[in-house]
Amino acid sequence: MTPQLQFFMILGAVALLLIIFIFLKRGLMSVKYSLLWLGLAVGLVIFAMFPYVVYVLRDLLDMEMPVNLVFLLMFCFVLIVLLSLSIAISQLADKCKRLTQANAILEKRLRDLEEKQ
Amino acid sequence: MDEKILVLIPCYNEEENIVNTVERLRSTCPEVDFLVINDCSTDGSAALLQSRGYPFLDLPVNLGIGGGVQCGYLYATRYGYDVTVQMDGDGQHDPAYLREVVQPVLNGECDMCIGSRFIKKEGFQTSFMRRVGIRFLSGLIHLLCGKRVLDVTSGFRATNARMTAYFAKHYATDYPEPEAILAACLAGYTVGEAPVIMQERQGGVSSISSFKSVYYMVKVSLALIIDRFSIHKTRGGKA
Repeated sequence: MTPQLQFFMILGAVALLLIIFIFLKRGLMSVKYSLLWLGLAVGLVIFAMFPYVVYVLRDLLDMEMPVNLVFLLMFCFVLIVLLSLSIAISQLADKCKRLTQANAILEKRLRDLEEKQ
Repeated sequence: MDEKILVLIPCYNEEENIVNTVERLRSTCPEVDFLVINDCSTDGSAALLQSRGYPFLDLPVNLGIGGGVQCGYLYATRYGYDVTVQMDGDGQHDPAYLREVVQPVLNGECDMCIGSRFIKKEGFQTSFMRRVGIRFLSGLIHLLCGKRVLDVTSGFRATNARMTAYFAKHYATDYPEPEAILAACLAGYTVGEAPVIMQERQGGVSSISSFKSVYYMVKVSLALIIDRFSIHKTRGGKA
């Protein structure tokens, strides 16, 4: 890996780490959902600063190009994030449904009470 | 009948039919309570229900038939109804057959009784393609839990208090009818069928349009297979 590429990789990874940190600070993202992203950012920083790790992993998995390993890992990571988002959305939809139902039942009770008065 | 009976009428953009349906129910079965569930209709349904003074639940966001009916089951459980009947708001289900659907539940023959148009094969029998789809789902449910139900998509069904409480907790969100049957059987409840005659819908649009039917079949089949693995039989249906 050329020093130039390494420099930009470190820059990108640190930028990602910073962006996540800013999101957390401003309350745009809850810590629960930031954990996965923080894991990715830290992983990228390690890969960029110590390319040796990538070479060792490449040899372990017997891949031609170290960069392919990075791509593969990134893709797997994105899949995990997407799956976790689907789970989160399903849970939110269920909570939203429950709230809507409770609201509708309360609203009817209120309407009936108002009519009685 | 001494038992408290509640008829749930889900209503989504049914301003053309809802008054007819309710009035027919009131004149045929004056002794039962009814509750219209307005699933955030975009037409004048809500104002119509309000002006007519019908008891109704007004969902603030559209939940779909499953979420809406489940809201009715929650209501029935909270207010201690003995039998809850679900009946479509579009005039397909004739209140004259309400007693036939409710009676097996009252007699304790089953926890849920489904009004079926395929037992006597009289009245509106729906299109050929839909009958094929219904037969397929019926076969799938038979395969998955060993119970043969003919009219698996019928939304004309009566449930006793135990079954209602179960549905208040667990009910599929969209296209819930076939899933509810399988869930009930797997959870240890008994399901029966009573012959009814159904009408063609009087107006408005069915919730299942033709281009959505493939999605419907795939989604429901998959949901049924997943239910088979996720719902565990409990003794006497005490889930």
